[in-house]
Amino acid sequence: MITVTNNKILNKDLRRKIVDMVVEGQDGHIPSAFSILDIITFLYRDILKFNAKKPEWLDRDYFILSKGHGCLALYVNLHRHGFITDNDIEMFCKKGGILGEHPDRTKIPGAEASTGSLGHGLGFSVGIALGLKIQGKNNRIIVLLGDGECHEGTVWEAANVARNRRLGNLCAIVDWNQSGMTLMPEDDMPKKWAAFGWNVEIINGHNEEEMAQAFERIEFKNDGIPSVIIANTIKGKGVPFIEGHGKWHHRIPNHEEYKEIMGGLV
Amino acid sequence: MTKSTRQQFADTMLELGKENNDLVVMVGDISHGSLQPFAEACPGRYYNIGILEPTTVSLGAGLSAVGLCPVIHTIAPFLIERSFEQIKLDFCYHDLAGNIVTVGSAFDYSNLGVTHHCYGDFALLKTLQNTEICFPASPVEFDQLFKQSYQNNQLTVYRIAGQSHGVEFKSEDIVFGKAIRVEEGDDITIVATGSQLRTALDAAELLLSKKIKAEVIYVHTIRPLDTELIRTSVEKTKKIVVIEEHMRSGGLGDDILRATYDIQDLMFHSISIPDKFVTSYGTYKQLCEFCGITPEAVIDSTNNWFDG
Repeated sequence: MITVTNNKILNKDLRRKIVDMVVEGQDGHIPSAFSILDIITFLYRDILKFNAKKPEWLDRDYFILSKGHGCLALYVNLHRHGFITDNDIEMFCKKGGILGEHPDRTKIPGAEASTGSLGHGLGFSVGIALGLKIQGKNNRIIVLLGDGECHEGTVWEAANVARNRRLGNLCAIVDWNQSGMTLMPEDDMPKKWAAFGWNVEIINGHNEEEMAQAFERIEFKNDGIPSVIIANTIKGKGVPFIEGHGKWHHRIPNHEEYKEIMGGLV
Repeated sequence: MTKSTRQQFADTMLELGKENNDLVVMVGDISHGSLQPFAEACPGRYYNIGILEPTTVSLGAGLSAVGLCPVIHTIAPFLIERSFEQIKLDFCYHDLAGNIVTVGSAFDYSNLGVTHHCYGDFALLKTLQNTEICFPASPVEFDQLFKQSYQNNQLTVYRIAGQSHGVEFKSEDIVFGKAIRVEEGDDITIVATGSQLRTALDAAELLLSKKIKAEVIYVHTIRPLDTELIRTSVEKTKKIVVIEEHMRSGGLGDDILRATYDIQDLMFHSISIPDKFVTSYGTYKQLCEFCGITPEAVIDSTNNWFDG
């Protein structure tokens, strides 16, 4: 078990936006979103190729959020980069809106997959990676999974295929906030992925320098070994009293709690 | 030797694969030998991917998401029942197109037992939007139905029958979504799908010996169902028997009853698999008998319809 020691809180503005969305929509998973927010923000700012005006641009990189319940972290980044509008954000979890508690690719520009049922995103991403390899294209595919999600057997079916088909154009990121370990304490995540033959990188998922270094090392070759980044993260990162595995997983802050959360994110 | 429908699947893949560079075939270690001509003619587009059906469905959806045309093929219970959520979410909810080709539906693998039976597939698939279902029971049916529907922006499931019904259709007779009137008659309508066309024709012969003229309608496309032809016949005969290798609940019979319930004085009977596991062993024919799917059952169940 690795403890994340970096106490710096990144992306406070996006964290505040997420809390506002949850309070306004009266639904949402704040800690799960805070766990992956720094990773997704980094990806959209520094790694992914995309065109928000043409979300289906054929040369784009693919980002699949497999742990769909962390979608608020995706939504605020899709908003920041112009895929979705202020109105879309305001309509989170409201009748007539396009943003629900899990992403829907048929509604949301830039959402590559409709996730929420855990264990689907990696297989779907492996299919995309295989398809692009068949087509001789060089797009990169990045898929973000939860550590609890890695309890699902389909994750390992897909991991097996990706290695055996040499899908080096694929990179998985595991949000290792150790929530899954509350159920299955024997959980050496890096060793598991290494056993499936993947190239393993271990980083602090709230440290952009470590993220950048990991992505510098990953080659994204069409014919190569797939990579996984095991990101040590903190569920609820940024607000100490909601951090960790517990009652805040799917809780809406009341007025007092809202003020306390926002006060810590200034 | 007559070609099997399963061999026709391999032949059709070869023919289409040469024309369509987007066609990709993935199998779960079955039909591997018969698909070698496709594999050789279409390098990089054939995958004997492994024994992991749910993920194979997810992979197929991923292929579809980048514009390829996936064909996923393995044994029905593992591809439909085990992988149902992957079909539901990765294809149907995503609104992605693809093709699933199953063998071993119903109790085709009779002696392999319940683990290798699959008689609830129509019912499951019909709960999903963006799906179509075909049940080809002869080579020409598979060839025509696949060619007509494999690129129609839906998930199309082709349930290959293990047994042919023995009726030789011409290719122009096979139109996706259209049932076929095989025998004309005024007294009773018998609708059959897949291999059970043979049972329907044998039952019609038995009925004829009692001077009852049956109209026999063959359904190769379960969804979309040609309700028009069936209604036209039933409005005339007022009597209908549906024969199918599917559980009674959720099968073709339910759809036909829904399509005809408002016809006055309608008499309806379903000859299908009872809503329980088929635990007997033996040949395919013996399991049909075990389930009561026989020509004699048609006679027995309709005897009192013709009294007086």
